Amino acid sequence: MHPVYLDYAATTPMRDEVRAAMLPYLSDDFGNPSSLHRWGRRAAEGLAAARATAASALGAKPSEVFFTRGGTESDNLAILGRCRALHAASGTTPTLIVSAIEHHAVQDAAVSAERGGEVRRVVLGVSEAGQVDLDALDAALEAGAAVVSVMWVNNETGIMLPVAEIARRVEAAGGTLHTDAVQAIGKVPVSVVDAPVHLLSATGHKIYGPKGTGLLFARTGTTVAPLLFGGGQERALRPGTEDVAGAVGLAAAMRLVVDEQAVESERLRALRDRLEARVLAGLDGVRINGGSAVRAPHISSLGVEDVDGQALLMALDLEGLAASGGSACASGSTAGSHVISALYGADDPRATVRFSLGRTSDQIDVDRAADVLTRIVSRLRGLDGAA
Amino acid sequence: MSRILVAMSGGVDSSVAAALLVEAGHDVVGVTMKTYCYSETPSHSKTCCGLDGILDAKRVAAALDIPHYVFDVEEDFTRDVIDDFVQEYAVGRTPNPCVNCNSKTKFKELLARGRALGCDQIASGHYVRVRHSDGGSALLRGLDPDKDQSYFLWAMPKEILPKLLFPLGDLTKTEVRAQARALELITADKPESQEICFVPTGDYRDLLKKRLGDVHPALEPGPLVRRDGSVVGEHGGYAGFTVGQRKGLGGGFPESLFVLEVRPTTREVVIGTRDELFEDTVEISQLNWLAAAPLVGSSVVVQLRYRSEAVPAVVSRLDESLVLALEAPEAAISPGQSAVLFDADARVIGGGRIARGYTRASI
Repeated sequence: MHPVYLDYAATTPMRDEVRAAMLPYLSDDFGNPSSLHRWGRRAAEGLAAARATAASALGAKPSEVFFTRGGTESDNLAILGRCRALHAASGTTPTLIVSAIEHHAVQDAAVSAERGGEVRRVVLGVSEAGQVDLDALDAALEAGAAVVSVMWVNNETGIMLPVAEIARRVEAAGGTLHTDAVQAIGKVPVSVVDAPVHLLSATGHKIYGPKGTGLLFARTGTTVAPLLFGGGQERALRPGTEDVAGAVGLAAAMRLVVDEQAVESERLRALRDRLEARVLAGLDGVRINGGSAVRAPHISSLGVEDVDGQALLMALDLEGLAASGGSACASGSTAGSHVISALYGADDPRATVRFSLGRTSDQIDVDRAADVLTRIVSRLRGLDGAA
Repeated sequence: MSRILVAMSGGVDSSVAAALLVEAGHDVVGVTMKTYCYSETPSHSKTCCGLDGILDAKRVAAALDIPHYVFDVEEDFTRDVIDDFVQEYAVGRTPNPCVNCNSKTKFKELLARGRALGCDQIASGHYVRVRHSDGGSALLRGLDPDKDQSYFLWAMPKEILPKLLFPLGDLTKTEVRAQARALELITADKPESQEICFVPTGDYRDLLKKRLGDVHPALEPGPLVRRDGSVVGEHGGYAGFTVGQRKGLGGGFPESLFVLEVRPTTREVVIGTRDELFEDTVEISQLNWLAAAPLVGSSVVVQLRYRSEAVPAVVSRLDESLVLALEAPEAAISPGQSAVLFDADARVIGGGRIARGYTRASI
């Protein structure tokens, strides 16, 4: 059996260059960046360099980068923190506008804020072609202070949302735009210059960096209230002794994937198209989820008719093929995907298989994936009535 | 080589069952059934199949280097096991939820989903044996009389038997623990699970209140009566009583009294002396046969509750239901409990749910 990992949207292996960049801060340069002595200074230098590197990868200023402990934390901090800052400034209840296909880190934070009476929540529909309901956006923006959260690349389908277009509308209305760019960095060009967003979330572990690392870009002038309180680190927006090695690893990973993005994206796109063509040639009853949308190159989400999704993923695993059903969250949960529901309706009966490609993926991998999927789906369909 | 699906609850028994199959060189896939919503019962999942059970099963599977998956069967389990459990208490009977789980949820789902994974056989850590031969497959008691679980498996569809493997059937619990320690399984010294898995508080009446609503006849006070009809007190809801029960009757009686009968239509709980508990005839319904059904007039042995000896009886009627004449009267024959029939070789013939016990002389 030749095991094939096609779940890069779940997480990625760390690159050697990233590990090498981190290692000094896990041994000799262990100091606390807040300390005034030489150990502290060494750590502080590492942190400052990491901040500058990460900022440059996004087209931001170093002072606009705040290190966090992951994408989920960045998303929560961005939308809850920004809404609280607006409330503190104006005393009014802000409108929190999110797309229907946001990651749970945004969606559930928005629901929680609404339940707590902190915001009025508005959900923007998204079509299977990736079109966001812009009329609803404009209408919601008219209601006063607003925070909008629209992801750059959807993690389950690869669908790209029109962040630059939305940024212009939000800017014109005086609102705040946050984007979850976790799946976008290194896969598509991401620049806070070209797309004038106010807040942007990123994480290290989707781009061959360390798990438990993230950052929030907050444009100068966009105040965000902290969710945690402590020693004032990260200019009090994210207190707690800094994970210097993590920040260094995240920054190194960002720099690498951004530099390589144009070439790697073309390579991944060709592989993904090959995978999808082979699956569609081998199987009836398969839909490319978001197939008519503009998509990032590394994700292929397939809607497969007449099979049980749980059984399919397990059978793929037994064949050594690592994929996932939509997203890689809570184990054992079979709750339907809110993304597929938003795109195709809540009673869409298809099983979802998400293949996501990365640096080690090659033609052999995708050919094997297509062959194994075709064989297993055919076998499962042949077991008709087994359940 | 055939691939075997083994049900792993996260307890010591199923851990050893999986380990023995791996040791024997089989291609083994471990699964844990997610049976109910853990978020509703936080931090009480000590018993098998709780969230901690899933985690332990995953760790054991990792140590054995076998794949492990979670089958979400919550919907089926709620419908076929929990709802039935609640309904049985609501009509004054005392259910065996494990019987329903095994027959309607567990093995059925394991078989169906196992096929999707290319598994020809299903294994579990039950202390029972299955003997396969050309003439078919027979389910037998486990060799350890203290652990034998055949009482809970009578309701399984007969067609499933040929697919089953019970690696612990020939072992005692002591031997299983010793194996687990020898293999250094993290579950080696895990305590036995005693409670019903979906009643983690240990008090099933909490569950009944939640699912029947606050106002339901089974949970309303009613009269405590003697056989002669005299009212001798009040009880707090007949769903709290099982035939043979002594607790919760209020006391103040000159002699020890026991529940003889629960009458849901009048909400009466009939109580009486220990002598009055004995009955010599049992009517059994919802029958299922794992071997040829016994003939009227034939001798069988029947087990009327878990952890009790099987007693000799003669089949006096068999149609939709089965009537057994017991050789000697038995105390506390409880409607809703399983009655499981065995032949002389410890083979499970089949069983059913006890509809009622009565005394022949009285009809």
